[in-house]
Amino acid sequence: MELSTRHLLGIKDLTKDDINLILSTAEQFKEVLQRPVKKVPSLRDVTIVNLFYENSTRTRMSFELAERRLSADVLNFAASSSSAAKGETLLDTVNNILSMKVDMVVMRHSASGAPHFLAKHIPAAIINAGDGINEHPTQALLDAFSMREKTGRLEGLKVAIIGDIMHSRVALSNIYLLTKMGAEIMVAGPPTLIPKYITDAFGIRVEYNIKKALEWCDVANVLRIQLERQNQPLFSSLREYNIAYGINRRLLESLKKEIVIMHPGPINRGVELDSDVADGPFSIILNQVENGVAVRMAALYLLANRQE
Amino acid sequence: MNILLRKVTIADPVSAHNSSVKDIFISNGIIQKIADNIDDSADQVVDGQNTTVSPGWVDIFAHFADPGYEFKETLESGANTAAAGGFTRVFVLPNTNPVVQNKTQVEYIVQKSSSLPVYIQPLGSITKNGEGKELAEMYDMQASGAAAFSDGTNPVQSAGLLVKALQYVKAFNGVVVQVPMDKSIGQYGLINEGVVSTRLGLPGIPAMAEEIIIERDLKLAQYANSSIHFTGVSTAKSLEYIREAKEAGIQVTCSVTPYHLYFNDEDLASYDTNLKVTPPIRNKEDVEALKEGVRSGLVDCIASHHLPQDWDNKVCEFEYAKAGMLGLQTAYAVVQSVLPDLSANKIAALFSSNARSIFHLSAASIEEGSQAELTLFKASGTTTLAKETNKSKSSNSPFFDKSLKGEVVGIINKGNIFINK
Repeated sequence: MELSTRHLLGIKDLTKDDINLILSTAEQFKEVLQRPVKKVPSLRDVTIVNLFYENSTRTRMSFELAERRLSADVLNFAASSSSAAKGETLLDTVNNILSMKVDMVVMRHSASGAPHFLAKHIPAAIINAGDGINEHPTQALLDAFSMREKTGRLEGLKVAIIGDIMHSRVALSNIYLLTKMGAEIMVAGPPTLIPKYITDAFGIRVEYNIKKALEWCDVANVLRIQLERQNQPLFSSLREYNIAYGINRRLLESLKKEIVIMHPGPINRGVELDSDVADGPFSIILNQVENGVAVRMAALYLLANRQE
Repeated sequence: MNILLRKVTIADPVSAHNSSVKDIFISNGIIQKIADNIDDSADQVVDGQNTTVSPGWVDIFAHFADPGYEFKETLESGANTAAAGGFTRVFVLPNTNPVVQNKTQVEYIVQKSSSLPVYIQPLGSITKNGEGKELAEMYDMQASGAAAFSDGTNPVQSAGLLVKALQYVKAFNGVVVQVPMDKSIGQYGLINEGVVSTRLGLPGIPAMAEEIIIERDLKLAQYANSSIHFTGVSTAKSLEYIREAKEAGIQVTCSVTPYHLYFNDEDLASYDTNLKVTPPIRNKEDVEALKEGVRSGLVDCIASHHLPQDWDNKVCEFEYAKAGMLGLQTAYAVVQSVLPDLSANKIAALFSSNARSIFHLSAASIEEGSQAELTLFKASGTTTLAKETNKSKSSNSPFFDKSLKGEVVGIINKGNIFINK
């Protein structure tokens, strides 16, 4: 089996078979990661550059670890400490890096569509590590992996995506993925943070009341408030956001059932999640991080093998 | 110079020869004779088989970027592009550096165009420096050759200022041209807001950002009892407001671009920066409404919105790309491709006579004794824009290597004939 695409630009371009293939490959890598020797030689002689035009802790480290565990040669690039800060264009930077014989590019960028632009102009395989407010495919894959691991299924699973839907690439990738896998989706949050046409675009539910959303769902994927991506005020204050949309232990205990709490990180503690929830028994946030390495190993491995 | 057009079909509703096939003899820039058979000797003879001749086409909204941005376009390259697209007269945007806001800048453009194949008339800026704060010297600019007034790609936002501008230009029959766009709504938007923008993860510009400016400006024009022309109208509801206003007797006219008729927002799926334009490419329903507006006559003119951008500003991330696409050279063929049933008279109205009447230009009618300002075109021909045939200094067009219906044969202007190929 191999993937139907050369690049991993977004979940939008993947088929259900692609998603299943990545998830099942990730299961094998997760097993590898439990061994005393966690390294496999699969990507020996493959050179990968991690191109981060936006700050990142988790995703960058997770990709780097995945690459090293696959024995790839790794090159790291952060825009803030490179010639991009001197005004070099994206295309120039990438072409310069490729002339040093790099095989794959992992890129995070603040502009939606930036990896798609790159894919039109360079021969290397590209993995999107988050583009603007568009997609973050490996996050959606690791979310799905973690949901399935915890609940045993994706089909028919009720997932509420909560918070800043409008500025979240995690939300969009999750919506694409969960729709393809037959889950039921609801988005919840303040109306100013939910795209007006989201129901027309995806046929999913919209809820403005956080308690109702939690009562409905099996899994709550709580998003980070993307203060850095809001160009204009979309809610009054973090304090009010926490009162109206924040999730705390008391709220969870008032539900008549147990639900799973997820968050892609970094958490704004006391805003979208209170610490007693983030660190509480319903949370699988750290499992998500752990699974991220296996899922990224799977994506890298499948794309690299497809190239040959 | 003597020019003889043989067996051309005349498309000019005000001419006695409308719809007939005639020979036309032109000498020293004047139409000397129109008859069934002319035997006078000529320096250039055009075989008019399947060719239509109409009053010279006028484009009311093109950017020649000169002075200031000559690396994108110059008056010369722009004029050659216009001529190849069948235009004999072009209104150029004031968004140059410096902004066209007084007599000196108007005269620079008018004088420089005197040696070029087409007439170039600037749209004078409504406000000083195009900043939307104080009125520019519109009276003086009109006297020097400005065609009309507009802040171009940076439309006036203040209602209070626009109503004063509308009142002010009445004294000298000036016309205000607005791209309808409220810049505070969808301020950070990149494409039309809707299902497609949601699916592509691109911030949207709601249709409402255009529609509320149309509603507002119509009220201002009615209050001032003055003329307003909206260009780049892109939504169904905008056209509805304009229809109601026309019926109510408000002095409003409008134009649409060829690209708003050709593309819809689903074409943006590959993040093609050539399709990043303002107002944005809208959805399918809007495109159908625009086409219907052209057919019914609600839309008065086709405006190219020719907006050259250099390579660096288009071959980059979608968010960082500048808005605009080339338009002059493919305008007719694009319209002919999406609306193949338009009559020759309708084409003449959309590309020439309506603009001539709205902006008080000479009719350029096809009669003996008139100035010869003519466009020759073939509805049965085809056009394919290619690197070698592109006359613009820029190449930001999605139409390269696409076969389009209809063909511009050439223009007759300023005593000369300019034939394509």
